[in-house]
Amino acid sequence: MLSMNWLISFITRRGAAALSLWRTWRGIFSFAGKVMVTAMTPKAYNSATRMVVIKQIYFTAWQILLPFTLFSALLSFVLITIVVEQANAYGFGNQALEISVRVLVPEILPLMTALFIALRSSTAINTEIALMRIHNELDALEAVGVDTMRLEFMPRVIAGIVSVLALTALTSTLALVLAYLAVYDFQVWSIPEFNLIIGQVFSGSVLLVFLLKCLAFGIAISVIPLAAGLNTPKMLFMAPISVLQGMVRLFFVLMLIEVASLALIYI
Amino acid sequence: MPLRANLVVLDNIAIVPQYHQNMPYQQAADIAWNLLLAVERTGIAEKRDPQLTHEERFLAKLLRATIRHTSLLIIDRPALLLPDTHYPPFVATTLSRLEAHLNACWILDYPWNKPLYNLPQNAHH
Repeated sequence: MLSMNWLISFITRRGAAALSLWRTWRGIFSFAGKVMVTAMTPKAYNSATRMVVIKQIYFTAWQILLPFTLFSALLSFVLITIVVEQANAYGFGNQALEISVRVLVPEILPLMTALFIALRSSTAINTEIALMRIHNELDALEAVGVDTMRLEFMPRVIAGIVSVLALTALTSTLALVLAYLAVYDFQVWSIPEFNLIIGQVFSGSVLLVFLLKCLAFGIAISVIPLAAGLNTPKMLFMAPISVLQGMVRLFFVLMLIEVASLALIYI
Repeated sequence: MPLRANLVVLDNIAIVPQYHQNMPYQQAADIAWNLLLAVERTGIAEKRDPQLTHEERFLAKLLRATIRHTSLLIIDRPALLLPDTHYPPFVATTLSRLEAHLNACWILDYPWNKPLYNLPQNAHH
């Protein structure tokens, strides 16, 4: 009888935890759906929302452009140099370009971009929305007829997506230039050969998965902290806990997207 | 209502007609600038929320409410936003400067703050 009670209690507790987890993720997906529908509705945009979207992109992507580009160039250069030297040492130098581009462009750079924006902007978004909720500021905005979805949430999601796509495109282009220079040196006669190899690396399916992954990263880095902020209980001491939960969820989702993209391309 | 932390004061005021009337930015910013001019605080136009003093934040929020031309503007417990200011004369001066832009304005405050306002003995509000 004692063991039966323990079993019932165990199943009840596990069940409650599973239901809570299910409700959290259902809430996140439902919120993501609503934001995406709003973002694709032309009526959602007016002079104010356009200005807020532009400002949000400026603060998320433009402000970090120079340091982030320099850092990613340095990282790309170091990794490409290591791959090229090691490939030459092991006797498959003719594949050095393909290997370095395959590792850097579709895998490391988008993940690094998403993590960088997550650390810089997602934490700020999570904290800001959690505090706005705790101080009833979101309710106040709704009370005076401001659609918070249009003016507060949608611009942040658009900025997240645009920032990941733009910064990944920029750093990937830079990595391709550095890879060319590392393998072929400062000359232009090898461009056709280079183009052929890049074309083989980025087949249609790889390109599609790459684009979808960047899009998923962009949505995740904005939707997950927003949803975490919106679910914060209205107590000030819950703000840091909300940020912690949001960032842990975000990290797991980013890793899950990365693993899924790897599986789609290579398995 | 909160000021948007990533917008300067001028944009925080201008965003109201931009949002509610879809007014172009330049036109909305001109109106916002004229309001700042009326309260003689154009110096705060390019400041963002964290850089503002209590008085400047109060003014930014007041101008954001003023720009909507509502029939009645209510200032609820001004001391909440002006903790270090002898606020009745400050609010009175500001409202007199905005007279041309306001329809009606009520100040709601606790009865024990009534002596601060130098109101007539029989005044209720």
